[in-house]
Amino acid sequence: MFSTSTQKKYWLFADESELLKARSEANAKFVASHGPKMTEEDRNELLDANEEKALLKFYELQLRDFCRRFEPPMPRSVAGTAFHYFKRFYLIHSVMDYHPKEILVTCVYLATKVDEFNVSIDQFVRNVKGNQTKAMDIILNNELLLMQVLNYNLTIHNPFRPIEGLLIDIKTRGTMVDPERLRPGIEDFLDKAFLTSAPLLVAPSQLALAAVLHSASKIGENLDIYVTKTLLGDSSPEALASLVEAVRKVRSMIKSMETSPKEVIRVLEKRLEKCRNQENNPDSEIYKKRQFEALHDEDEKYGLDFPSLIMSGDLKLGEGIFEINKSMTSP
Amino acid sequence: MEQYKVLGHIGEGAHGVVQRALHRPTGRDVALKKLYVRRPDEQVPIQILREIKLLQKVQCKHVIKLLEVLPQGICFVLVFEYMPTGLAEMIKDARAPLTEAQIKRYLEMLLQGVEYLHAQYIMHRDLKPANLLVSYKGVLKIADLGQARMFDEKATEERPYSHQVASRWYRAPELLYGAKVYTEAVDLWAVGCVFGEMITKAPIFRGESDIEQLCVVQKLMGTPSTKDWSQLESLPDYNKITFLPMKAVPFEQVIPRCSSSALDLAKRFLVYNPDARISAKAALEHKYFFSMPLPCPMPEMPKPFDGHREKINSKECDTGDSSGLLCQKFNKIQIN
Repeated sequence: MFSTSTQKKYWLFADESELLKARSEANAKFVASHGPKMTEEDRNELLDANEEKALLKFYELQLRDFCRRFEPPMPRSVAGTAFHYFKRFYLIHSVMDYHPKEILVTCVYLATKVDEFNVSIDQFVRNVKGNQTKAMDIILNNELLLMQVLNYNLTIHNPFRPIEGLLIDIKTRGTMVDPERLRPGIEDFLDKAFLTSAPLLVAPSQLALAAVLHSASKIGENLDIYVTKTLLGDSSPEALASLVEAVRKVRSMIKSMETSPKEVIRVLEKRLEKCRNQENNPDSEIYKKRQFEALHDEDEKYGLDFPSLIMSGDLKLGEGIFEINKSMTSP
Repeated sequence: MEQYKVLGHIGEGAHGVVQRALHRPTGRDVALKKLYVRRPDEQVPIQILREIKLLQKVQCKHVIKLLEVLPQGICFVLVFEYMPTGLAEMIKDARAPLTEAQIKRYLEMLLQGVEYLHAQYIMHRDLKPANLLVSYKGVLKIADLGQARMFDEKATEERPYSHQVASRWYRAPELLYGAKVYTEAVDLWAVGCVFGEMITKAPIFRGESDIEQLCVVQKLMGTPSTKDWSQLESLPDYNKITFLPMKAVPFEQVIPRCSSSALDLAKRFLVYNPDARISAKAALEHKYFFSMPLPCPMPEMPKPFDGHREKINSKECDTGDSSGLLCQKFNKIQIN
């Protein structure tokens, strides 16, 4: 039930300013802890909270496209869950700390498992362009980190089931002719809503209702009477007021959504390569060095005999240990 | 993790170890269940994700409460409220044999927990005395959702469930026949087994292997027939095993020395056909709970002392004798 969920308790925020505050704090924290260690040149490339936001928007579009193109086709709820994870992650961490392209695929991967859409890791990485072995390493390294950042709050309530409920209800109790006509408009609306902060600000059922109402108005139908008389019935006037407010909120978020031009994103990405936390960059020297050190620490802690692992040719296991360890020791 | 001080070892499972610990800031007694990501180079097993997800969802007096999840190296730690003992130990406790009224209350609490889980579309799939914990106040709580899963999406031939669930002695016949499409009724078979075990003080179906388990069940329940269980012949392993035709042993002998209403209820749990097995909700309305003696009032239920689990289990001998014969002898000596 949503009303008793971790989603409502920990991940539903009052308004956009709360989200902005969290993202700004994550940004400031990164700048404060990493800025002093950087070269003058790299420090000039540090992103501010607004630039991070622009990048996140770009990667959310990537997330959407990745899910759309995914083979085998994935249920919408898996993509919805991945969107939630992605949005939550960057309330806690700066884009400069963990690169969105890496967190993005990890979010989708974890979502497939949590939503019981069972694809193997091999099947999963076939959907990733480029080096698939590397992609697999990145995902498995980040999986534990992601769960930890989510504080193990894995269950996501998406608007898709409420949509089905509302359509059934409109068919049985409403007067509208052929409510299935609402579907294209609903899907379009939800697609856009997932690219905004709406999932962090309104309950999934409200998001669903907003989509239904928006779609109705697009095709010249009016569901006001259904909502006020049938759906809410004897509920208090406050219930209607809060519903209207939520619907309005989502609509305005969608309207005011903006994406940055490609050139701007390209510049930001270049700067990100310079200012990102190299300790979390799988291509950096320090990352590789860290992994090696972590492996030795792990040896001592778990009494593993690393040289003998190499000798026995069981290198794969050895690598695995330090990779997981790496993600766990990162702040 | 620094907030917890490990006090001792509670037990071990397939998943890892369970330890007792103190939550330093609050002084609260907790149990830490460590779940290992089995191979370090592997993904997080879906079972662990399911367990965390389900535990966060449930809110019931008769289901164990998850306090938090912590990362630790290559494993996760689930933090639970601490329970001094379990139903297995309460059954074994020779000093305080369970009365009929107490058994009734335990069964009632168990069924309330199962009814709750099923209403949330969760099937537990591993109910057994060792997974039923008892609090200081004597409240029974269902624990270990490590094999549980949601059944809001029905299993189908294309998307089957695993049949390798439940501990053997408590495994429903459809699972023993390899069913991959089954329902929450598997939990009610297990409840029936636990019920019988509370009365007789020993597991009622004790097979030493999966095949023997099926044989043991049939020896007592008789050979199943398609007359009562139409899907029987379509179960995956039905044609792979046949036993000599066996006649059911009268229920009074399977579970001797108990009231007629207890027998009647036990019979409704231990039904071959899962569709004919009684539901948790219906079982709670059975006359067993409304006939004398009534379920024992909570204030009069046994209140386990700290260390009850360890005390009872220390009497068990660890000879690796799986038939349990040695253990029984040893217990007798202790009693005399």
